Amino acid sequence: IGFWCTKRLMNMAAPSSATNFFGMREEDQNEIKQQQSSISTSSAAPPIAPQKKKRNLPGTPNPDAEVIALSPKTLMATNRFICEVCNKGFQREQNLQLHRRGHNLPWKLKQKTTKEVKRKVYLCPEPTCVHHDASRALGDLTGIKKHYSRKHGEKKYKCEKCSKKYAVQSDWKAHSKTCGTREYRCDCGTLFSRRDSFITHRAFCDALAQESAMHPSSLSTIGSHLFGRNHMNLGLSSQISQLHDQNHPSGNMLRLGSAGGVKYEHLIPRSHPSSFSQPMPSPAFLIPDSNQEYHQEQSHQHGLLSSKPFHGLMQLPDLQTSSSNTQSSAAASLFTLGFFSASNNGNGMTNSENAAANSNSTNHSGFLIPDQFSMGDQVGTGLSSLYNTSMEQESPAAPHMSATALLQKAAQMGSTTSNTSASLLKGLGNTSTSGSKPNFGRSYSGSCGGESLRPEMENENHLQGLMNSFANGDSSIFGRGTEQNNSFGGYSGSQNSTKFGNREEGKLQQNFSLSIGGTDRMTLDFLGVGGGIVRNMGGGFSQREQQHDGMDMSSLEPKINSAQARHVFGDPKLQ
Amino acid sequence: MAGMFQEEGSSSVTSSPLQFFSLMSLSPGLGSPYPWLREMKSEERGLCLIRLLVACANHVAAGSVENANIGLEHISHLSSPDGDTMQRIAAYFTEALADRMLKGWPGLHKALNSTKITSVSEEILVKRLFFELCPFLRLSYVLTNQAILEAMEGEKVVHIIDLHSYESAQWINLLQLLSARPEGPPHLRITGIHEQKEVLEQMAHRLNEEAEKLDIPFQFNPVVSRLENLDVQSLRVKTGEALAVSSVLQLHSLLTFDDEVLRRNSPLVSKNINSGNLQGVFQMNSRTLGDFLEKDVSNVYSPSPDSTSSSPLSLATSQKMMNFLNALWGLSPKLMVVTEQESNHNGYSLIDRIMESLNYYAALFDCLESTVPRASMERQKVEKMLFGEEIKNIIACEGLERKERHEKLEKWIPRFEVAGFCRVPLSYHAILQARRLLQSYGYDGYKIKEESGCLVICWHNQPLYSVSAWRFRRYS
Repeated sequence: IGFWCTKRLMNMAAPSSATNFFGMREEDQNEIKQQQSSISTSSAAPPIAPQKKKRNLPGTPNPDAEVIALSPKTLMATNRFICEVCNKGFQREQNLQLHRRGHNLPWKLKQKTTKEVKRKVYLCPEPTCVHHDASRALGDLTGIKKHYSRKHGEKKYKCEKCSKKYAVQSDWKAHSKTCGTREYRCDCGTLFSRRDSFITHRAFCDALAQESAMHPSSLSTIGSHLFGRNHMNLGLSSQISQLHDQNHPSGNMLRLGSAGGVKYEHLIPRSHPSSFSQPMPSPAFLIPDSNQEYHQEQSHQHGLLSSKPFHGLMQLPDLQTSSSNTQSSAAASLFTLGFFSASNNGNGMTNSENAAANSNSTNHSGFLIPDQFSMGDQVGTGLSSLYNTSMEQESPAAPHMSATALLQKAAQMGSTTSNTSASLLKGLGNTSTSGSKPNFGRSYSGSCGGESLRPEMENENHLQGLMNSFANGDSSIFGRGTEQNNSFGGYSGSQNSTKFGNREEGKLQQNFSLSIGGTDRMTLDFLGVGGGIVRNMGGGFSQREQQHDGMDMSSLEPKINSAQARHVFGDPKLQ
Repeated sequence: MAGMFQEEGSSSVTSSPLQFFSLMSLSPGLGSPYPWLREMKSEERGLCLIRLLVACANHVAAGSVENANIGLEHISHLSSPDGDTMQRIAAYFTEALADRMLKGWPGLHKALNSTKITSVSEEILVKRLFFELCPFLRLSYVLTNQAILEAMEGEKVVHIIDLHSYESAQWINLLQLLSARPEGPPHLRITGIHEQKEVLEQMAHRLNEEAEKLDIPFQFNPVVSRLENLDVQSLRVKTGEALAVSSVLQLHSLLTFDDEVLRRNSPLVSKNINSGNLQGVFQMNSRTLGDFLEKDVSNVYSPSPDSTSSSPLSLATSQKMMNFLNALWGLSPKLMVVTEQESNHNGYSLIDRIMESLNYYAALFDCLESTVPRASMERQKVEKMLFGEEIKNIIACEGLERKERHEKLEKWIPRFEVAGFCRVPLSYHAILQARRLLQSYGYDGYKIKEESGCLVICWHNQPLYSVSAWRFRRYS
């Protein structure tokens, strides 16, 4: 990279500051050259001092030199200087002059001049070549000739031994002298004069090498056949498996999305239309673009799965392979519902770019979240699980906390994280020593008691209240709960309280007694576990109730009601 | 009233008003005894789960089965493999904790796992799903390939060793990159290592097909072996070819060593491992519960510098790793790209491991939560069969069984350097591509951090995977 940078810099600098550079005398340049070599590593120096990092690239001429451009023909003419008498050609003018002497023609040998000879530089006639530019002209005629032949000319000279071709005869001669003197012998018996061809051969001759290691060398050819056949068998067996033709166009395996660079065009698909074989449930098309893309991606994955190269190897669950048929009914209905409620709500949905986020806040809650749609797509989960999930959606006002955030919060509350594990251990130790019988609850309270006494007290207050209300064992629980905890309040206001009272109360009551009485240790555990649960009982109630209600109604008249139910009960956060 | 209650609570539980309930045991026949718990608000439930998990982990670490059992039961009412993130995490962690405890009764443990089907194809499918759902593997492949492309510029014969060869996508991508090289494609040979012959056959088929399409001279060299048993000589690396090694989430398995050896050699370690192990469980039957608790307490209180003891030992014990790296070094690779989990799941102390993995996998689960719908079967599969299994391995296994010994870059770097490798900074171009790829996913949770030429892929602030590139350094 460093080199490249320099090169770039030079190219840019050359035309503009040419006089600057090239005005220097040669000694200077030499000096600079030396400097150059010493500082060549720090080639990224600022361009303010160009003479410091000026490197004399091959073909960077003295600017005073006379630039000579020869046509290819003149350049390559072997005998440019022709004797007008006998038509004999000469490569150099001096030679021609000497020859003219023999014809008794006037001749003139160049005299050595005291005056400094005007330097000449030669351009490469090939317009695309870097040495076609005056700033990169080459300093001597033979050099430009050889350059032109090597780079742009025909390779006429072929080595008989190794078949390598050369454009310049002297190159060929030099090669011929050494060709064959350095030999590379592969295990298969083939000789190579050139190292790179030997290496190339070796890379693909390892089977031979392997075989010949085991067999006498005469068998090596057989070995190669064996290997070849093996190979073909491999190919065949996998070709037989059907997945072969199902294979994805490999180009898509790693394609970057649209944001990706051009270079990564073949990498990573965003959406892959050809891969989804089944048509979308039609309502899906009414979802905004973002959703649709999502959708496509899902089905793309789907497609990928069913046409996986490993198909033969792995049993894909029926779910995935057959989902295209089974899903349509369940999914379709869902989509329809979702769509209807969406259209009730107005067109805003279809226009909004981030429908995913927005639909959350509409009152039909779960059903338009992209989750639901794609769930339909993935199916197998069926209607019920879908319903459950949608019920489990957190209230839109409070998006649920991520586990990471929870862990952080828990850490702040001083209960967890690896940092505090020591103290936790200590806490554990405390409890264990104090208890002669296994006391789960106590160990919990112990583990956090040290750190947060105050919350614990509060919790106990809560619990106390709860305990009392449990003991009373009637609906006044909830009244008390309201006093203790705001979240109970929402409940008493709900229109379904009668139903709750009649039908659910007993059951709930039972649940409560069970839960509290499950183990006496548990109660203390709740203390330890903290405000979370106790406070949450309220929230839990309202939510649970809502769910119950939703469930009941949904069995008769689905979806819309559940949305209402949710609405009626409101979300716990609001209470 | 509160005060009184507190007093009662601390003195004796049996005299509290709760006595009334205390005789009702948690009977499984009735189903979940407190379904309302499940309807708690996500946040509170999550916090509750964390506390329960931590407490439970401590009990497991202390070997007190009884207490851990109670804790696990509580958690089981709140956790769920298809609920919110924390519920899912809790489900997998309890499974792991339970598995660990159950190993105290090898008979039970074996019986419970006797019909377990482990199919390599399933595993590959799950990894494929992970590849599809999350950008991490894709990112790793892109970065690896870009590094290879850059390192192999101008090379005519390129040999790549894939330490765990099951995913053809990476190499198909590389083939395409190489075929687009300005100087033309090199002769390419990929040596794939996998314990299953069929997988390698598939790889060979797919790659040969692609190479033929692109007209690249190509050879796939299958080596049927597990990484830990790999004989580096069998890789048949030849002089003159430019070698690159690609390891995606593989190297940590070579950190595995036999704890038993250590335990026998060093009494201090033996104690440490004891406290985090199940020795207590074995002995429980012969002791009273009181003894048991006291014993455990003494274990906990014993001067056990769990975390500090791990560092001097880790060098001595990762002999297998050093041997492997030395052997690789002997092949003088021009490049070695390593992707690893950026987390320390290889501590001696079980609690440390649990805490580390809790934080780590929380981020991974969060990542799935915000990018994949909850009901997705694919997501559940990845969670259960990939993350869940890793968690189980980290928590429930010891010694040679514990393969998921993820370690952080800060530990890998000296390890590679000692083995004679020097870092190759990932190029600007590679990092740019990684960023673009992440952008194309459209979630802002994915982050990339550059740390001295290595890349750390994060979900928000939690580092998840590291990608680093290395090359053979000749000793002067």
